[in-house]
Amino acid sequence: MKNTDKLASRLALLEEVSLSPADVESIIKDIEDNERVVAELEEFSQGIPWVTMQLQPTDKKG
Amino acid sequence: MAPADICELNLAELSRLIAARALSSSEAVKAALTRLERLEDKLNAFITIPRERALAEAKEAENEIVRGHYRGPLHGIPVTIKDLFETAGVRTTAGSKILAEWVPETDSAVVERLHAAGAIIIGKTNLDEFGHGGTSTLSHFGPVHNPWNIDRIAGGSSGGSAAAVATGIGPLSYGTETGSSVRRPASYCGIVGFKPTFGIISRHGSFRGAWSQDHVGLFARSVKDITLGLDPVAGYDARDPASVHQETPAYTARLDANMKGQRVGVLRRFLEGVKPEVRQAFDAALQVLAGAGCEIGDLDVPELNYAAMTSMMTSSAESAGINRRWFRERHQDFVPHVSRGIAVGMTITASEYLTVQRARHRIREALRATYEKVDIIASPTTGKVAPLLSDGVKGNGDDTRHASYNHSNLLRFPSMLGLPGCSLPCGMNTENLPIGMQLIGAWFADQTVLNMAFAYQSATDWHTRRPAIASA
Repeated sequence: MKNTDKLASRLALLEEVSLSPADVESIIKDIEDNERVVAELEEFSQGIPWVTMQLQPTDKKG
Repeated sequence: MAPADICELNLAELSRLIAARALSSSEAVKAALTRLERLEDKLNAFITIPRERALAEAKEAENEIVRGHYRGPLHGIPVTIKDLFETAGVRTTAGSKILAEWVPETDSAVVERLHAAGAIIIGKTNLDEFGHGGTSTLSHFGPVHNPWNIDRIAGGSSGGSAAAVATGIGPLSYGTETGSSVRRPASYCGIVGFKPTFGIISRHGSFRGAWSQDHVGLFARSVKDITLGLDPVAGYDARDPASVHQETPAYTARLDANMKGQRVGVLRRFLEGVKPEVRQAFDAALQVLAGAGCEIGDLDVPELNYAAMTSMMTSSAESAGINRRWFRERHQDFVPHVSRGIAVGMTITASEYLTVQRARHRIREALRATYEKVDIIASPTTGKVAPLLSDGVKGNGDDTRHASYNHSNLLRFPSMLGLPGCSLPCGMNTENLPIGMQLIGAWFADQTVLNMAFAYQSATDWHTRRPAIASA
């Protein structure tokens, strides 16, 4: 996916909300920052187990 | 006793006088309300002041005590709470326009426990909207001002609570922390701020900033007052999924200033950008801890380079999840900076969030290994003193966007990992602005943190300084 398409797909998540051009500009800058941050964290977390989110009742025994 | 003198009393002293019936709860509450009303134009620390209700409750507490039904150290004591805690019959705004007139029907867990302990809530304090900020300037009700210099910020998001305690408007306040919202304002306002291990205090009925990082915390002027305020509110609550089973809280009874052999680690590489005046005060504080018997040593935990960005991404995604519906329906009613932050959070995908949680896990494991070697990690709480209001939201100087040895990692890792942390005053700069030191312990080593803070305060008098505005 091209970068412009990726950005458009992220902004589409906000499509129900009418934002001013200045807000959109600021949001785009932060999205680009976040993409860089996630890429760095992905590299940093290589080989680390995925976090387990399963929740089991504490009052039941197997 | 003159009302102004009552406001100068610590919780421990005030409590002793009320228990002995040498001072009434009504006198204490009236004194705190009088001071609040005198200073509110300058500080803007409060959103709602339930004056008549507080006075009626004080009278009731007074009658109970006279009849011999003394409930404990908070009975009849004027306290304040951040306006994120739901209060039955008293509006709860979370600093927002959206909830500006909302009156809950039930109390939050903290408020339930405060009522049970006999505390009198005299005011609900101002904050960054829904706790989203580090300045207390992002409130629908206007910015909180720092009592040491009203042109400066109080820090956030629990800035109103910190400003209130610093000026003697009640000896104790309850706030919340997701990133640094207890420790930072405590540092900027020259008081003690403590947030316990994740799960120690129930968050039921308090608004969430980011569920995996939110904590309830306390503000007071002494460590002993923190423990007196912590004992009645700590404990398991099934209504908070993060709540942990724990023995009956006895933090006050176990306060112990004996520090012999306690190991204190210092992450020196993260202090390079810290202002010289702050480093100087911190180094002097380490000498005090060494004098009290602590073994001080340097540490390096390079994984912490990633702490601020991991914490920020987690907060951003979780707060977007929490505020999603309101944002879609009423985004124009949010404070603009908060609204933009939620919008950005809504664009973080599930797989990105999970990647961030892997990074968080790696940092947690690094800290787990670190706490095999030390009991406490000590650092300046913030890299500089309270910035000017005119510097805006960037004034704190945090960097949550880059992996590096910047100090903001030290501010953010305790809440991200759920570690107990205490900020306490350790100096003043040449402009008479407070400097804070933070002590961070391992999971459930809350007593160790409190004991070390207590030992430090037993050997120093920084916590006895008061802003001039309080007595003017």
